[in-house]
Amino acid sequence: MDAFYASIEQRDHPELRGKPVAVGGSGRRGVVASASYEARKYGVRSAMPGVTAKRLCPGLIFTGRHHDLYAEESKKIRSIFYEFSDLVEPLSLDEAYLDVTENKKGINSGTIIANQIRKQIFEATQLTASAGVSFNKFLAKVASDINKPNGIKVITPEEAILFLEQLPIEKFMGIGKVTAKKMHDMRIFTGGDLKKYDEIVLVQRFGKVGRHYYKIVRAQDNRPVKPDRIRKSIGAERTFLEDLESMDSMKEKLDKISEVVFNYMVKKDNYGRTVTLKIKTHDFKLITRSKTFLSEVRDLGILKETIYELLANNFEVFEKVRLLGVTTSNLSKEHPGEGIQLEFDFDEKKDLD
Amino acid sequence: MKFSVSSNELLKQLQIAGGAIGSSPVLPILEDFLFKIEDNKLIISATDLETSITTQIDVMSDANGIVAVPARILLDTLKALPEQPITFNVNDENFGIEITSAYGKYKLAGENGQDFPNIPEPDGVDSVSLNAPTLTNAIAKTLFATSNDELRPAMTGVYFQVDFTKLIVVATDAHKLVKYTFTDITSEVSTTFIVPKKALNLLKGALPSGGDIKLSFNKANAFFAFDDTTLVCRLIDSRYPDYNAVIPVDNPNLLTLPRTDFQNSLKRIAIYANKTTNQVILNITPDSMTISAQDLDFSNEATEQLNCNYEGEPVTIGFNAKFLVEMLGVLESDDIKMELSTPTRAGILLPAEETDGEEILMLVMPVMLSN
Repeated sequence: MDAFYASIEQRDHPELRGKPVAVGGSGRRGVVASASYEARKYGVRSAMPGVTAKRLCPGLIFTGRHHDLYAEESKKIRSIFYEFSDLVEPLSLDEAYLDVTENKKGINSGTIIANQIRKQIFEATQLTASAGVSFNKFLAKVASDINKPNGIKVITPEEAILFLEQLPIEKFMGIGKVTAKKMHDMRIFTGGDLKKYDEIVLVQRFGKVGRHYYKIVRAQDNRPVKPDRIRKSIGAERTFLEDLESMDSMKEKLDKISEVVFNYMVKKDNYGRTVTLKIKTHDFKLITRSKTFLSEVRDLGILKETIYELLANNFEVFEKVRLLGVTTSNLSKEHPGEGIQLEFDFDEKKDLD
Repeated sequence: MKFSVSSNELLKQLQIAGGAIGSSPVLPILEDFLFKIEDNKLIISATDLETSITTQIDVMSDANGIVAVPARILLDTLKALPEQPITFNVNDENFGIEITSAYGKYKLAGENGQDFPNIPEPDGVDSVSLNAPTLTNAIAKTLFATSNDELRPAMTGVYFQVDFTKLIVVATDAHKLVKYTFTDITSEVSTTFIVPKKALNLLKGALPSGGDIKLSFNKANAFFAFDDTTLVCRLIDSRYPDYNAVIPVDNPNLLTLPRTDFQNSLKRIAIYANKTTNQVILNITPDSMTISAQDLDFSNEATEQLNCNYEGEPVTIGFNAKFLVEMLGVLESDDIKMELSTPTRAGILLPAEETDGEEILMLVMPVMLSN
């Protein structure tokens, strides 16, 4: 979807149309979740601090988030995907891979399917979507960004090699700012430059993912479209307006975050064996500490106690804290073959003596 | 102050006491042994403030005195010396220590022994006498079942229940439980306390093969005295869970089978089990039991069949193989009995033949199978 959250806000609030709009927080520590194309002209991007966005685009209008509404629109879009194929792998609320090799409508052109989906989405939501059509996931994803907004890009097997050779290295999915910088240092600016490097050299330089780079630049990507991506963790985090300095204030925030995480675990009936505390200090140092249990944590009290313990054990490491997060992983649904190690039902309140 | 002692005899005592020294002491002096000379006896102490060991050895000395000696360097020196008389010469002013062997001299910096923390004295204690093999047995059979979960401190120790005529020792980590009862003691009192794991591990290594152990205790500490050695540990000040309440009394299905066959089979099958859960499935019918495991991540799977004697409804039940292997490992009888109920309730593991004067009962919670 094109500027999904921002477009929904503009659709529902005509006065915002044609104006630079950002969904998210404008406060000192707010972050842009989505920016309209009018705002993007000024360089406003998602995940950018609200303050920076405002500086780049002084006329930027911030709107609140309406997550329930976005989720509802997302459902409508997904149900359209499923009219064409069951092999749908959602990447986020507004993005998904579809394998349409064998589709429910018997259409033998990905391009026709993509355009039909875009048309149906517009009819159902009055929102525009962009599509990438190709013969593997990597190329389809890269293609989907080429003619945004409201566009489509097809990369055929014949075009793929030349397309990738000319593609700037930053546009490769999975190559972020840091990797791009390293690549520039190696005089890699395009796919063509990347191709000059041996697989071994790339692995030595970048680790295991070097092999992936070697393959994708040669249009080799055999990853299947996995319906129902298996969730690996459930977590939540909060950035605070003012740095936290006392143990009590941190515990108070962690209580609330733990409750959010726990409620989500209950709702999804998916419980983790590993509990992780994430701390970002005032000087942006990231600390994560975790504890793994033999069986899933199914009790909010234990989740909180564990988080307190992790906090107390590391309290001397940091002074001021700007962000706290709680995550559970090693989820029960991630390991479908695994049973649950049961515990004795000790009545912990009852005294033995 | 000056004294002479056999290097091997001293090393032996230091190795016993040295177990108490922690891996990362909070005070530098806790990396030392305390040496106290009292009338031709060298009294050696070491502590991590939770667990302390004091032991003694006869020496030839010219005066009484006290000094703290760095443990690591002293132990290393003695280990590298063949048996011989060695002499310690301690400067009472600056606590410098000079050791003389047949080969030469070694100097190390000691510290003021007065700064060494006090080792708790057995004040206001009650005592019970146990024979050493009984205590060794009790520790060996229970220690493995303790928990490492610091959120439940009681379970990180072993629970001792001293009755007038019996001693009950219990350990559990909420997944497995061992209750060991010894019925041949006499005690003036009836009481309970929780001994930390570290102290019992040290005791296990230090207990003599015969003779009596004097076990004394008050509200704060337990004292284990044998030969010339005393181990003191701070008791875990926490409520022990009501373990009796979780021991099932009406498990209707009774399985009997050879202990080592069962254990060996589990060890082989466990190789193919998921490495984090060690989950194995027992499929039990009246004349045979199938043990199987699979690791979906690697497409590994294994199955074995064992002859057994089973009275009850056929059942399919999952267990952590590691738990069962450990539990079977502390039993001694040729055959074992398992009393089972439903696949989500605790199973009881018992030796088929009881040893006189002792009873052992183990419990294990199943793994609830996902399908």
